[in-house]
Amino acid sequence: MAADSSLEFLKSVKGVILDMCGVLYDSGEGGGRAIHGSVEAVKRLMDSGLMLRFCTNETQNTRERFVQKLRVMGFDISVSHVFSPAPAVVQILQKRHLRPHLLVHDDLIPEFDGVDTSSPNCVVIGDAAEKFSYQNLNEAFRVLIGLEKPVLFSLGRGRYYKETDGLKLDVGVYMKALEYACDVQAEVVGKPSSEFFKTVLNDMNLQPHEVVMVGDDLVNDVGGAQSCGMKGLQVRTGKYRPSDECDPSVRADAYVDDLSAAVDAILTNR
Amino acid sequence: MMARRTLKAVLIDLSGTLHIEDTAVPGAQEALARLRQAPVAVKFVTNTTKECKRTLFERLRGLNFDLQQQEIFTSLTAARNLVEQKAVRPLLMVEDSALEDFTGLETSDPNAVVIGLAPDHFNYQTLNKAFQLILDGAPLIAIHKARYYKKKDGLALGPGPFVTGLEYATDTKATVVGKPEKGFFLEALRDLNCSPEEAVMIGDDARDDVGGAQNAGMLGILVKTGKYRPADEGKINPPPHLTCASFPEAVNYILDHLLGSK
Repeated sequence: MAADSSLEFLKSVKGVILDMCGVLYDSGEGGGRAIHGSVEAVKRLMDSGLMLRFCTNETQNTRERFVQKLRVMGFDISVSHVFSPAPAVVQILQKRHLRPHLLVHDDLIPEFDGVDTSSPNCVVIGDAAEKFSYQNLNEAFRVLIGLEKPVLFSLGRGRYYKETDGLKLDVGVYMKALEYACDVQAEVVGKPSSEFFKTVLNDMNLQPHEVVMVGDDLVNDVGGAQSCGMKGLQVRTGKYRPSDECDPSVRADAYVDDLSAAVDAILTNR
Repeated sequence: MMARRTLKAVLIDLSGTLHIEDTAVPGAQEALARLRQAPVAVKFVTNTTKECKRTLFERLRGLNFDLQQQEIFTSLTAARNLVEQKAVRPLLMVEDSALEDFTGLETSDPNAVVIGLAPDHFNYQTLNKAFQLILDGAPLIAIHKARYYKKKDGLALGPGPFVTGLEYATDTKATVVGKPEKGFFLEALRDLNCSPEEAVMIGDDARDDVGGAQNAGMLGILVKTGKYRPADEGKINPPPHLTCASFPEAVNYILDHLLGSK
């Protein structure tokens, strides 16, 4: 690919953050499958000398299990380079001396090992899927409404996601339900929160303008990255919709067909 | 000086206004009987998500109130009427005890969602089903949007949070049919051949009964029984047309001041 003047902003790039689901792989039966060309694209980035980190709102698995799943698909990724909401919220809980009531997926529970959950003074919700029963939501509600100043953390704020058997409600829906019930505003941990992206930037030791984020979610990936000063590329895979390219509120710095094309653009123009 | 209105209809709230749990408000039966002597239509209007009309009717009859089942208009009736007007087939997320008010409606292969208070239906699977229907264009009809309610063992989530969640997921707005919606009061008057200006509402809830009715163009009378708390009358603007001790006083006022003949 020849250098393209509209991609000049890539000249100063020293680091890349990749979203995972919808960019590296499509979720589905047996954990999903790699998107064509993405395994090689990740390898090329790793060999390029650019800093590389991964950023996901995945909360149905611990990072260890998640990375293991990706290894099976052919991605060679180390756990320490993956940033997800659960470890981020654990840091916040420790810093603020909070004891959470957890409404999260069973497979995420190990991320909270060592966290004091006795007499909770805040609530953490993640994508709990089948565990989002009336009973469980009511328990979280009762904890919140019983607090003098309710504190609610939401691991992401997605509306829904796609699975092989159709669209599924995401954590944001239940976050909204609890916000309405208790008249509180949740603190969102994960994309698109700036705090979350800043943690990744700190780890890379780079300035925002030196980093480009590649994702399939216009609001959470591209918009989130842009609002903390990074560039955002949207790939036309995963949950991408053609209407994203004329969205009135978020405009990606560039749209590319897939991760392979994104890596071509980055490596050619830097 | 305001021109005297002709009064054609009186809407009366049930719980908190005519009775509190299993006890009638003192003098309420007799006051209702006096009101019935006057040339006005009477309707009983209430927000309910789990009690069907028959249950409400039997409770009031048990307390010796003189009324007919068809004089009761509830948020469930309002939801049913809306479903019929739209000619849609609803997925009914209401408790079994409320289903009776929806008998006869076609509910197979649903293309609408009616959501009441139904903890048994508020599981991930059913909410996903509702979500997918709404995404496909099904209207979302909410009986009401209460945040929570009080149970013997503590507070419990009402339908409001679930309605709000579905609204967020689908980027749509629910049509709310219960009090204090303007449409609720207009629908209650529909078969009485009476405009809102010709009707008065009596209730113990300043916002849902009185505020809602006045917003629809009716007069509102707040009674200091049931859930009434001091200073409630100051919580709505404009204030209630009248605030009085209880239902019998409200009836006296109507007979003396709102009906032409003394």
